[in-house]
Amino acid sequence: MRTGLQIIWTAIAIGFGLIVLQGYFIDIPGLESLRTIILQWAVILAAAALLFGLGNLMAVHLAKIGGQEPGWPYSALLVVALVGTLIVGLLFGQESTLILSLFQYVQQPVEATLAGLLAISLTLGAVRLLSRRRDLRTTVFLATAVIVMLGTGPWLIGNNQGFQQIFTGARAWVSQVWATGAARGLLLGVALGATATGLRVLLGADRPYGD
Amino acid sequence: MGLNDLLAIGVLAAFAVLLIVRTGTERRWPTALRALPAFTELRRAVEQAVEAGQRVHLSLGTGTLIGSESGPALAGLSALMRTTELTLESDRATVASSGSGAVAAASQDALRGMLGRLGSPGLYRWTNGRMLGPTPFSYVATLPTMLEGDRVSVNIFMGHFGPEGALAADMAARQKGFVLAGTDAIPSQALFFAIADQPLIGEETFALGPYLGAGGMQRASLRVQDLLRVALIVIILIGTLLRTFGIGL
Repeated sequence: MRTGLQIIWTAIAIGFGLIVLQGYFIDIPGLESLRTIILQWAVILAAAALLFGLGNLMAVHLAKIGGQEPGWPYSALLVVALVGTLIVGLLFGQESTLILSLFQYVQQPVEATLAGLLAISLTLGAVRLLSRRRDLRTTVFLATAVIVMLGTGPWLIGNNQGFQQIFTGARAWVSQVWATGAARGLLLGVALGATATGLRVLLGADRPYGD
Repeated sequence: MGLNDLLAIGVLAAFAVLLIVRTGTERRWPTALRALPAFTELRRAVEQAVEAGQRVHLSLGTGTLIGSESGPALAGLSALMRTTELTLESDRATVASSGSGAVAAASQDALRGMLGRLGSPGLYRWTNGRMLGPTPFSYVATLPTMLEGDRVSVNIFMGHFGPEGALAADMAARQKGFVLAGTDAIPSQALFFAIADQPLIGEETFALGPYLGAGGMQRASLRVQDLLRVALIVIILIGTLLRTFGIGL
């Protein structure tokens, strides 16, 4: 029974995958409309999965509150904010002033603050990197970062045109020649890896789904 | 159907045929994996976590399962299944987190399927595959509470990440946990290089499964990728030489 179900799920995954894939290359009217329908289903399922994910989020945090686990007050705040925003959205609509204010004055500043923290995290990360991995790759990485930073934006010490021009030129050379070439090489590797992963699913060797 | 489409179909077909042929010969001529310190350290960290009764956390990123972001998410799901197998004896099952409902559902399905295949379906908990937040930064905001509450000591970041991935990896590093991180986005790979204990570069992100013991087609696919990479290098070099000598393509 279990093996039978496995075969059915695998066949469905392979079939749907092949229908979507062929649409990128071959224009067969019947299959093309089927592909469009499948992609529409995928988008609808992804939206429905968001609700499912929110249910999962609630369950995890309600369990933490119920068990008075460490950090439960944060979980309580999350549940209150989630339910509160949902109720306000359902009552007043997603384009109401109240909902827009919540996004503008609560969510956006919080996300902007976190994005701002990234600069501090990266600076501290670079310092930690020096103590953690002292090798050639780290040295090149940090030297490149310093050159790019010095070559970007205004020169801070006086009006030193000579130094600024040197670093601006070095920055352009590093980012437009070395970094671009390396990025393309990496992208080719990523593309090969992603293709192999996709093909393994299409061939039924990888089955990241239940039986 | 244009020439480019034919070429793409040809490359994909060649990839698939090579993959099948190489998988068939894998038992007789097994693929030798080159030593990668990141994966050696990961195995050691996972073993220590299992012995210490601490948890392994696999972050599947903030991307979705639709479009180009699905590649690293699928690789992450594959890694999740291997990690679940490695931590089967642990008191604390592997926990997967993501910033998308679809990926969270897929992670729960992967966990359930793998535990079923391993003969331990009773160990499955649907809360071990979690969506932490529906936006990239809300995902990051809730991550520290999860890492602290679940006594996580090993963090694997394997999925699509934007700049928020660096912040997530930094938060994991601040909890004194081991951090291995890989993604498909090149700028985020650079950020992970600065922050993670063991960053994965380029296609290494997709190689975690074989390095954690997966055999068959997973292992064979690494050899096929190497083969195609060499072919690409040769084609690029020939193209460059032809253009240098003024021969147009």
